[in-house]
Amino acid sequence: MKTPNAFAQFRILLANGIKSELSDLERLISPLLFALTILILFAFAVGEVEPDMRIKLFVAEVFLTTFLALQISFSRVFEPARTDKVFDLLRTYPVSYNAWFLAKYVLVVMLGLSVALPTIFIGAIMNGKALANVSIWGIIPVTVLAVAGLSALGVLLAAITMKAQSRQILYPLLYFPMTAPVLLSAIQVSVTYLEKGIFNSDSKAWFLLLASFDVIYVTLGVLLFSELVDDSQ
Amino acid sequence: MLDAKDKKSLYIGILLAILVLVQWSVGMFLAPVDAMQGQVYRIIFLHVPAAFTAFFSAFMLFIYSILALKSKKDSYQQMCKATAEVGLIFTAITLLTGSIWGRPTWGVWWTWDARLTTTLLLAILYAGYLLLYSSLEPGPGRTKACAILGILISADVPVIYQSVNWWRTLHQPQSMLRKGGATMDPLILWTVVAGILILILFSIWLIVQRKTNIALQDELETKSFQQIK
Repeated sequence: MKTPNAFAQFRILLANGIKSELSDLERLISPLLFALTILILFAFAVGEVEPDMRIKLFVAEVFLTTFLALQISFSRVFEPARTDKVFDLLRTYPVSYNAWFLAKYVLVVMLGLSVALPTIFIGAIMNGKALANVSIWGIIPVTVLAVAGLSALGVLLAAITMKAQSRQILYPLLYFPMTAPVLLSAIQVSVTYLEKGIFNSDSKAWFLLLASFDVIYVTLGVLLFSELVDDSQ
Repeated sequence: MLDAKDKKSLYIGILLAILVLVQWSVGMFLAPVDAMQGQVYRIIFLHVPAAFTAFFSAFMLFIYSILALKSKKDSYQQMCKATAEVGLIFTAITLLTGSIWGRPTWGVWWTWDARLTTTLLLAILYAGYLLLYSSLEPGPGRTKACAILGILISADVPVIYQSVNWWRTLHQPQSMLRKGGATMDPLILWTVVAGILILILFSIWLIVQRKTNIALQDELETKSFQQIK
């Protein structure tokens, strides 16, 4: 039997991932419920605040929800592979490791966005007064870039720590500090944009930092994932 | 009994320790008093070299992680572990001295300043590296996982270094490596520069010593396993 090329492998692996994610209704609506819970918790915890503070809180809500949702996604994409030994089995097949990484990565990005985007729109409705003078669409590319960077790092770290004994402690210990450049730049760009209504030179510099870390993490992910799973070396 | 190689290494260590003490003494007793901060500024003679040494350790970790990933040799992996341990020590010294300096200057032991926070993140990453190392079974899998983590950690260092320029917070901007030259008195500047060089050399010596210990430890473990079998 002929082995499919790397792109076909990527498509098959991604399709399988999506299929397992969409296998029940619970998985479909859980991101929405998760986003709502965080937004309501924030509203209760903070109460009435000044409008400019409300913008900062809205950005915090969006990225905190996305960040936490991604944690669930990372454990989801590797948990079956770990428990059912699929990971060890799959690496005995002539699978392209790049296709494997990218399939996991794209799946996590999709899961992350499925939480981030509803959070932005629900949050915008809930914080309507403070965000009345600005188009919310501007922070969507920033969110996409943030999710892209956080996901690449997360997938790689999840693979690194998969066989570690103290995985539950180790994962957040390593993941949280490394996300700092991505999270901080995404928050800075979003806050500046929502306060001023435009992307000024300051936010462009932050945007560049965000994009740079995306490139760094995705490149390192593609290069290093194959090193990690390749048993022949 | 010490053999010739051990003796040489011991003498180098003693010499470097004396140099560290001399540099501190110059900083403590000969360098002029700072016009703004008074005597409290003198902690920079330990704080700044420790911070640079912590960054240097991250750079060493990056280089040895690449070598470990390429060649899969145990000696490179042992160097990585030794570097992470020494890096963690110097990052802790940086945080501790920064905190001691911060109390009289800012009025608090700790504040969520950009430089402080990013340096704390570096300490957490070094600790995480060591935790990962100890929680994986010895073998090529551990070498690869730790080497990849070492490379990822080094990506964080430019952010820590630039944090005071990117976020205008409490920590003062860079006063040594900046456009238009350093803003310090020449004696202070050269004492700090000498301190950085000496402490980096001292850290290299520590890394080599620790690497030798780790290699011996690994050898003993292997032999004891063989005896049990």
